[in-house]
This record gives sequence, structure tokens and C-alpha cells, in this order.
Amino acid sequence: MPSAPLRPSRPLARGCLLTGPSPTPTAGPLPMDEETYLELYLDQCAVQDDLVPPRSPLFSPVVPYVYTPHPSNPETTFNSHHESKETSGDFSSVDLSFLPDELTQENKDQAVIRSKHEIEENCEAQSQQSRLPLPSGQDVGPSLDSSSLSNSHSHLHLGDADSIQSSPEKPNSNSLPLASITPMTPMTPVSECCGIVPQLQNIVSTVNLACKLDLKKIALHAKNAEYNPKRFAAVIMRIREPRTTALIFSSGKMVCTGAKSEEQSRLAARKYARVVQKLGFPARFLDFKIQNMVGSCDVRFSIRLEGLVLTHQQFSSYEPELFPGLIYRMVKPRIVLLIFVSGKVVLTGAKERSEIYEAFENIYPILKGFRKA
Amino acid sequence: MSSTACRLYRNTTLGNRLQEILLQFDKAINSALAQRVRNRVNFRGSLNMYRFPDNVWTFVLNNVEFREVTELTKVDKVKTVACNSKNTGSITTE
Repeated sequence: MPSAPLRPSRPLARGCLLTGPSPTPTAGPLPMDEETYLELYLDQCAVQDDLVPPRSPLFSPVVPYVYTPHPSNPETTFNSHHESKETSGDFSSVDLSFLPDELTQENKDQAVIRSKHEIEENCEAQSQQSRLPLPSGQDVGPSLDSSSLSNSHSHLHLGDADSIQSSPEKPNSNSLPLASITPMTPMTPVSECCGIVPQLQNIVSTVNLACKLDLKKIALHAKNAEYNPKRFAAVIMRIREPRTTALIFSSGKMVCTGAKSEEQSRLAARKYARVVQKLGFPARFLDFKIQNMVGSCDVRFSIRLEGLVLTHQQFSSYEPELFPGLIYRMVKPRIVLLIFVSGKVVLTGAKERSEIYEAFENIYPILKGFRKA
Repeated sequence: MSSTACRLYRNTTLGNRLQEILLQFDKAINSALAQRVRNRVNFRGSLNMYRFPDNVWTFVLNNVEFREVTELTKVDKVKTVACNSKNTGSITTE
């Protein structure tokens, strides 16, 4: 990322400068300080950063010292903010490792949901926590900031609990959510040896709609729904875009299958929830979780499966009379691969996209070793 | 509501006679459908909507072609309601 044109290329900066003055009802001289503070901070960060995270607008632009995950840092930021505006030196200690190079939608959503849950649980407690490390002499400034914090917290609270579009309140980074966003291995699956990337074929996910459902009513009124209670105790519903199938149970739990990406799976699950909602049930969207991901790819050469099963017998099982593919159970990551003589590989059992890519990177050199002729 | 009301007026001279006739009608139709209907119509179209509560299928098809040996009929929209029977009969409405 180019370090020269800083401010225009940082959406966060733009966002901050725009929203800086407005949300704080108390602002007098403070917005100006926040702006210059932010500029200095960003200048410092530009020197340190390799990559501007494209998803950074996700984090709340309201409070500039958003980026400090460590409990100790808010103290230093508070101090530096109010005691000396020019302490850009303090931010050499700011740990930016949690800002991922690339963040998948799923991780972002999980992070968002996690942080949102944390926020909803600890709203008041944290706004009080944030007051604690403040230097005693500087009451006015910090309290204003914390009140702006709590204002934005309450906004979140009142907002739609299910909407992931509302940006989470990053200032609560005193607690776990930010620390739990681990620095990501690059999501672009660059394999050193080859340019083959496993394609995701199927994603299975579950979500809790959190209300009892009358399956008969759903089957009677919804489009594209089947309900045969003698055969299976759930409504089988399908939608065309994204092309998926959902099993909806009377407890309110739902399984969504057939999507080709994590985001599509989530979108499809939301569409089903909306259908159920439109039928009059108070459906919500809790605990969306991807349970399984299936990927496939082609190594483009034939493989000697017998050789592979001999050398990797503790991981492989190959019964050509039973099934033409070799079943390789990789330990780390815990993925099952179906390897065929033609060179096609199916990978399944992943909860994250990265596990599929990692498993393929692990198996590829092994397969190359068993290339036919 | 309807069952208690039915019991009141169906058990009358008129009601009983009509019920017998209805039974006869049912039997006649079933035997006719089984024995006298021989021709077979195929139809195909694109599925717009389907539904299956209580073992009753409802389909809405678009751009349907009804194909019989003799002739071909094209229709924009067809709603089909079908239930299970021994010889898989169906009732079609436009």
C-alpha cells in the first residue's frame, strides 16, 4: 500500500474527520483536538503500517483511540491525549497486530457479533471501566469522551440486534473482542508450489430463529416448501438466489445448505428467516454458525493411491472395491480429503475457509510425490 | 363449528338421501377414473412454485406444454393440485 497519499486512501480517516464533531453533544474545543490528534496518530501509523486494512471502516470512527486493544494502552492514550497532543511517540507502542491484512466476511461478522455481544453485555460496566484509568486532573476531557462512548453504546443497544451493518463499538477493546481477532494468515490462498486453489462447493450452516414455529402453517403458506411429517420432522424450503435448501424445525432452529461461500450462506439464511418472519412469526437471527465447508480441486496429474496408502497408512484408508477414492484424514488441520486416481481432490470437514486451503497446501507436495509416471 | 351443525341437519330424510347419493358419486368417479380413462397426457414447463403440506402437492408451472399423442397445447400458467392415490390421479385447474 502506498504510504505517500495518506489521508485520501484511508477511509477511516475520512470517516473520522466527517463524524468527529457531530456525535459528541458536549464538544467544544474537543473535536478540534480529536482531529489533530487523529492526524498525528495516523501519520505515525502510516510509518508503521504495511497495509491499510480495507475493512477498517467497520470499526467505529467516532473515537480515535479505537486501535488500542490492550488494557494498559487506554491509560497511555488518555494520558497522551490530554497531557501532550504531540505524543505520537506513544503510538509506537500501540499494537496494531490485531488489524488483519485481509479479513473474510465471516471472520469480520464473527468478530462483529462477538464484539456486539460483549458490548451488549458489558455496556455500562465498560463505560465505567474506561473512566477508571483516567488521570485525576483531567476530568473534563475523558468524561466527555466516555460519555460519547456510552452514547454510541446506547445507540448500538437500541439498534437492530440482528443487523451486522451497524458498526460495533471498538472502544470496548479493553475486553476480549479485539484481542480475539487474531492476526490472520493471508486469506488469498497463495500456494508456493502451484496456482491451484480449492473451490468451495458447499457450505452447511445453522442458525437459531429463537421462536417456536408452526410447521404446518409455514408449509401451507410459504412458497417452495415441503412438509411430510411422517417422513421427516422439518419443513424443507428452497430459494433460488442464492441457490440453497433449508431445513426448518419446529423448535426454531434452521439448517442452511448448498451455498458456495460463507457470505452467501449467511445471506440465504437471512432470506429464510425473513420468509418465516413474513408469515407472522417473531423470527430472530441468533448464533449463525458455519458447520461444514466442502471444497474441491484438481491437481491435474494421476495419483498412485496404493503408494499413498502404504506410506501414510495411519491417515489413509483405501478400499477400491468399496469406494474408488482414498480417504485421507489429515490431523492438522482436521480435514478429510477424498483423493481420486484422476487427480481430483475433495476436501471436507472445515469450519473455516483457511482450513481448506491449508489442508490442500499440506497434501499437494505429498501427492506430487505419488504422481503416476 | 361445522361438524356439530352438520350433525344437526344431515341426519334428516333429505340429508340422508343426499349423502347416499354423494357416496355413489364418489364410487362412480373412482371407478371411472380407474377403468375408463385410458389416455395419458404429458406436460412440462418451468416450475414457479411448489408446496407440499398434508400430502397435497400444489405446483405452479409457467410456459407449460401439454403433450398428447394427437396434439400439443401451450399454456402460460398452470396450477396443479395433486394427491396420492393408487393410480396417481390428479386434478388440474387453470
